[in-house]
Amino acid sequence: MSDPEARKVVELGYGGSERLTMNMGPQHPSAHGVFRAILMLEGETVAGVDAVIGYLHRCHEKLGESLTYTQYPSIASKTDYVAAMTSELAYVRAAEIVGKFEVPKRAQYLRVLVAELQRIASHCLWLGTWCLDMGGALGGGATVFLYCIRERETVLDLFEALVGARLLYGFHQVGGTRYDIPGGWADRCRATITTIDDRINEYEDMLEGNAFFLARTQGVGVISRALAQEVGISGPLIRGSGVAYDVRRAEPYSSYEDFDFKVPVETAGDCYARYRVRMQEFRESIKVVRQVLDGLPEGPISSRPGVKSVGQVRVAKGEGYARVEGARGEVGCYLVSDGGAKPYRMKWRGASFSNLAILPHIIPGHKVADVVAIMGSVDPVFGEVDR
Amino acid sequence: MPALPAALYYFIVGFIVLNAVIGMVTYVTLLERKFAARMQSRIGPYRVGPHGLLQPIADAVKLMMKEDVVPTLADRPVYNLAPIVFLIPCMLIFATMPFAPGLGVADLNIGILFFLAVSAMEIVGLFMAGWGSNNKYALLSAMRAVNQIISYDLPFIFVALVPVVLAGSLRLSDIAQAQTGFFGAFIFYPVVGQLAFIAYIVTTLAAENRVPFDILEAESELVAGFRVEYSGMKFALIQLGEYAHAIGTSFLGALLFLGAWSGPGPAWLGPLWFLLKAMAVFLLITWVRWSFVRIRVDQILAISWKLMLPASLLLLMATAAWVGWRSAGGA
Amino acid sequence: MAPETPSRSFAREVTDLVGAVGRAMKVTLINLLRKPVTVHYPDVKREYPDRFRGVLALTYDKETGEENCIGCRLCEYICPPQVIKVEMLKAEKRNYAKTFTLELYACEFCELCVQVCPTDAIIMMKSFDVATADRRELLFDKDRLHAVGLQFPPSWATGNLLRDMQSPPKAAKAEPGKTAGRTE
Repeated sequence: MSDPEARKVVELGYGGSERLTMNMGPQHPSAHGVFRAILMLEGETVAGVDAVIGYLHRCHEKLGESLTYTQYPSIASKTDYVAAMTSELAYVRAAEIVGKFEVPKRAQYLRVLVAELQRIASHCLWLGTWCLDMGGALGGGATVFLYCIRERETVLDLFEALVGARLLYGFHQVGGTRYDIPGGWADRCRATITTIDDRINEYEDMLEGNAFFLARTQGVGVISRALAQEVGISGPLIRGSGVAYDVRRAEPYSSYEDFDFKVPVETAGDCYARYRVRMQEFRESIKVVRQVLDGLPEGPISSRPGVKSVGQVRVAKGEGYARVEGARGEVGCYLVSDGGAKPYRMKWRGASFSNLAILPHIIPGHKVADVVAIMGSVDPVFGEVDR
Repeated sequence: MPALPAALYYFIVGFIVLNAVIGMVTYVTLLERKFAARMQSRIGPYRVGPHGLLQPIADAVKLMMKEDVVPTLADRPVYNLAPIVFLIPCMLIFATMPFAPGLGVADLNIGILFFLAVSAMEIVGLFMAGWGSNNKYALLSAMRAVNQIISYDLPFIFVALVPVVLAGSLRLSDIAQAQTGFFGAFIFYPVVGQLAFIAYIVTTLAAENRVPFDILEAESELVAGFRVEYSGMKFALIQLGEYAHAIGTSFLGALLFLGAWSGPGPAWLGPLWFLLKAMAVFLLITWVRWSFVRIRVDQILAISWKLMLPASLLLLMATAAWVGWRSAGGA
Repeated sequence: MAPETPSRSFAREVTDLVGAVGRAMKVTLINLLRKPVTVHYPDVKREYPDRFRGVLALTYDKETGEENCIGCRLCEYICPPQVIKVEMLKAEKRNYAKTFTLELYACEFCELCVQVCPTDAIIMMKSFDVATADRRELLFDKDRLHAVGLQFPPSWATGNLLRDMQSPPKAAKAEPGKTAGRTE
């Protein structure tokens, strides 16, 4: 089904008398990173949007060709730096698929554990920054932001006890994981997620049913089901529009089929629907974390010996694509190997890069204030967009 | 009364009140920051002076030392005059405010009318700031501001007239004195008092551009709105004006609804009670401000014209009818 | 605004609004009464976990007091941003590092150098208090690295411990009494 909306191109006339061209970004408190949106305004209504990206380009794909399989996982976390665990996972899984490496069961469970904890932390940041954009740095938005950051800090403290770093981990390696959980960590983890479960009730109290919040998010930025499938978005964006696509169910990896969790789907397609999807994902991730902790098997955490030298991992000739369900959507890594210690070519499919393509279709027709609400609900991270 | 020439007397009293207001404004910023911080699980300013008590002084000194940057293409006379034109009405509203029976700059017999009229004049300064900055963000913000403040001034006036009708006089000290005893405060009048107080809080939030009605500054979209091109002392004047207006409306709220200076203890404690009640109103406004996200400008205007204006009109008519019934022989 | 379903009455909407406003303000009130989570750094130092990846340092052998580093340059080769530069000094019994520079301002703190070191010479500390106003002070030479090693408490991770944690247990590298990675 081809959606005529997707084929429509909004002509931006840079001339004209009634229209005001306004620049939002790249330095902007709510651009979610370095992002430039050139808005064509007619009064308060946006008539067209032109997105300019590339401000954060750091040549990841070239770095992938010059760094070996032992070195690059630490760098991979810097693409989606807010949800670093899933970014590393995509690269490492690609190398394992091409090189046909086995991953022991305990390592798979640990990967699921950190991925879901990372999803919780990433959604905390999403909720905080979205409310901050909508509510103002001096106002209710900042309150929700600080509450969310307070909760995210507890998850980051868990990661710090596990890995030693709070934001960019280097937790994964080809063949398994680099670190195992220390003593006492499992209990701390359970206590932390129980607290977060309670605090999410507080956030919902503050936002759910709040007429101001609903007025800002309902009916805003509607993505129809056909448009969502046409443009190629993924993650909470597409699940908020009624398409139940989740990589963890479509192509289960790393033992996700062992766990019982729902994939939340909403049909309205507006910002409120995407908010509901992510709030439910909080709860589902907490469920999965509990299941992992209860069922963690004993065993090695890596099928390859510990990294002793830089060229230790050699991946057989071949090519392959690995995808994971990151917090923002489908993060993919396509790897072409020529048999050496470094990839011949590595390509990232950034979830936010594909998600940003939806903006010129849904923003025109809304007011300027809605642009921030929509940007927040799309939740881009520009490390993934520009790589 | 001492035998001072009237002009000198008013000059001295006015000078004292102005200085008191400025002093209060600086410390009210600290109060707001600490209160907001506690609501967000953190501590506010802490290191400058014991528990941050010297923070406002540090801020004032910093703003005075900053370079005064004027955009090249700014409309200079308009740009330079705007902070002053914005500040003067915000300070002038304290002229008719009686801090105790007989203690005030000028207790006009049209006191509240003067207050409402003058406080609406800040729009002129606001729009001058937005226009003179030669900045699209500032202009957008100024246009929204004119829309919003004018729309909310009408319900504001009608709601402020409810205590006037109940007290039967426009003079502010008469309104305060009509609220005798604890339960005489107008907020305790059945239904009418509470509704009027809630409506007053809502319209005050809008008139002062506070969340949830702060679309015109909207840091995340317009980056400080009409103030964006101001730095240094001019910015300090604009901040001063905003907070002075906020405190002014808090004082007015305490006077209209909470009984101003009435409270237990000797009569000279009156101004202290007035201050405490005004701070309570201010903290209530702050509490609301730090709990909600903002709403869009068209929704703000919709609330104003479709909800607040009819509601406040109805409230006023109901109050007038009740007062008329009471004085005609009801009770 | 979104079109409202016609069955919601005005009274219902008002009660919803009042309820929502009340709930939101109740949450902020509850948090007003909670203890703030601020840590008064630097008066109160934050407690770092055992595996904290802090500043890098070179170590001496516990028994003999000799430098652990044998100048093998494995850390130099594996460092992703290439911040380590080592020159080997050959001697009779064992090799040393003649010079060892580490550019801490460009270091990623990925712990890969710690992981590959065969002699546990380079480790990370449980602290990061080396803030400075001049970036040149963060260009660590060998003496500074050894001094840092004596200045802060070391982190848990050393090369051998990390490799033991990762290697399959059938290699039976774990010494008796030390299970691979389950405990600290």
